[in-house]
Amino acid sequence: MMSKIIAWVDQRFPLTSFVKHELTEYPTPRNLSYWWGFGFLAGFVLVIQIVTGIFLAMHYKPDSKLAFDSIQHIMREVNYGWLIRYLHSTGASAFFAVIYTHMARTLYYGSYRRPRELLWWTGQGLLLLMMATAFMGYLLPWGQMSYWGAQVITSLFKATPVYGEQIVTWLRGGFTVDDPTLTRFFSLHYLFPFLIFGAVIVHLVALHTVRSSNPSGINLADKDNIPFHPYFTVKDLFGLGIFMIIYMLIVFFKPDFFIEAANNIPANPMQTPAHIVPEWYFLPFYAILRSVPDLAGGVVAMAISVLIFAAMPYLDRSRITGGARYRPVYRAMFYIFVINIFVLGYVGAHPPTGTLKTVGEISTMIYFMTFLLLPFISRWEEKFVLAKGLPPAVEEMARKEIAEAEGNV
Amino acid sequence: MSKNKLFGLFVCLILTGQAHADQAQLQRGAHVAVEVCNGCHTLKYIKYSDFFKLGFTKKDVDAMRGDKPLDSPLLSQMDPQSELSMFGIVPPDLSLMAKAREGGAHYIYEMITGFYTDSKGQTANRVFPGIKMPDILMVSQADAAGKQAIDAKAKDVSAFLEWASDPQAEERITLGKYVIGYFVVLTVLLYFLKKKIWKRLG
Repeated sequence: MMSKIIAWVDQRFPLTSFVKHELTEYPTPRNLSYWWGFGFLAGFVLVIQIVTGIFLAMHYKPDSKLAFDSIQHIMREVNYGWLIRYLHSTGASAFFAVIYTHMARTLYYGSYRRPRELLWWTGQGLLLLMMATAFMGYLLPWGQMSYWGAQVITSLFKATPVYGEQIVTWLRGGFTVDDPTLTRFFSLHYLFPFLIFGAVIVHLVALHTVRSSNPSGINLADKDNIPFHPYFTVKDLFGLGIFMIIYMLIVFFKPDFFIEAANNIPANPMQTPAHIVPEWYFLPFYAILRSVPDLAGGVVAMAISVLIFAAMPYLDRSRITGGARYRPVYRAMFYIFVINIFVLGYVGAHPPTGTLKTVGEISTMIYFMTFLLLPFISRWEEKFVLAKGLPPAVEEMARKEIAEAEGNV
Repeated sequence: MSKNKLFGLFVCLILTGQAHADQAQLQRGAHVAVEVCNGCHTLKYIKYSDFFKLGFTKKDVDAMRGDKPLDSPLLSQMDPQSELSMFGIVPPDLSLMAKAREGGAHYIYEMITGFYTDSKGQTANRVFPGIKMPDILMVSQADAAGKQAIDAKAKDVSAFLEWASDPQAEERITLGKYVIGYFVVLTVLLYFLKKKIWKRLG
């Protein structure tokens, strides 16, 4: 019976061939480490966020007079409302943690390199959509931090030349963050996840065109590829198990960990909280914003700090594959970059006074210098590493790419 | 995210459990909240009927609510307008107070026991300078024995307010232990399944 149904469908829709091509026979490098499992985790968290979000929206009231109370209604009166809400609020942090790890893996192994530029750029687009979604979602509880965070971030658009004031008013639907801001943010916060879902499909199509990169950096021959299923389905599921343990520990035992105390006070436009801090996943960028003394300069620096990842395929001019694996200087730069991100995060979480202000300025410099020096360092490193010797397969690939590039000139 | 919170996370990751106030303490705290705090403060997310969850009997709750309906929230005994003219502020709602301050219940305890008489003979608070709340438990005027009794009361009411801010905590933690247990077992099984499947590759 089942096979008859499938045969009927297959005549009209490429179901079996699709599953074969994209899953059961999809060739995957067998040497992918657990670092390659974070894309799957991100997809999983996206589904958690959409499902919990849909249920939250059934009980939430996007009205500045009712929003705060409706969250408490969810927490106290809706059956397992507290669970749905904590899954969602912790899920936002989990999503960023997973995506940042996914990006770090791409940077470390140079997975953004040719021919994966478009794959990387769709990822960059996804990051922007995700940031916008998270930012708008954070307004919905209508707590003090929600309100003032939205107030501060929307006011950044004042830096737009000529039309600054108008754009801010247009974004907020008024002169300050108020009910119209809440309703539009709610509407868009419900819309964006579906845009993300669509963009994820584009991301996957691009991935299945260029196939996964792998830790060796070598384009593996067919003999080294294994079907995605069952090998990577089971590997990803084990990774998911580990993720779920950590995620559930926070949801059930420390659910307020990512919720600022001040956000348990209803929004009060007349009273600014002592410190306005964004959520942890925005802190490094927030620190960059504050480290530039001029508002317009800060906004531009912050925007570039997020967008600059897209330039990586061009900033990294080395022809040696495998990313940091065979490149000691790039590896050092990667670790400096990661440590520096944490420093920026720390700076972003505290008031910018005295030494901390200086630290923020230096860290901002380091952040941009890592990117801006890369074109020069990567070429110099390429010569140095080639002279020192590489595994034959890697060297062959690099020399071929260099010869191709020189032939084209 | 304070160091306190980070430390708390580590402790929880190790113990996957949290210390909990016992029911007797929560009941004592509920009495303080109704008889003292509720004079000026509202607890809008707590209804009289919620007290059944703390093990109070119908008779106890009836005594606490007086002529107010069972499903009425704990509204302040004074109306907000007269509070505003009397204190210069409408006393904040207490039902989420333990979540709305860094330090939670501990902060509340420190604040209500933080009253003292300063050098000018004025009552001041070492945790919240300039606070508009009076020294309701009379900490600043108590002798050693009195201070001890007040201390116990303050601890009870802080524990109660922590419960009020998160009445599902107990259910959450109980359920959480099963959920973690489930995922640990599942993950161990997936680990062996993964090993078994990957063995085929030799």
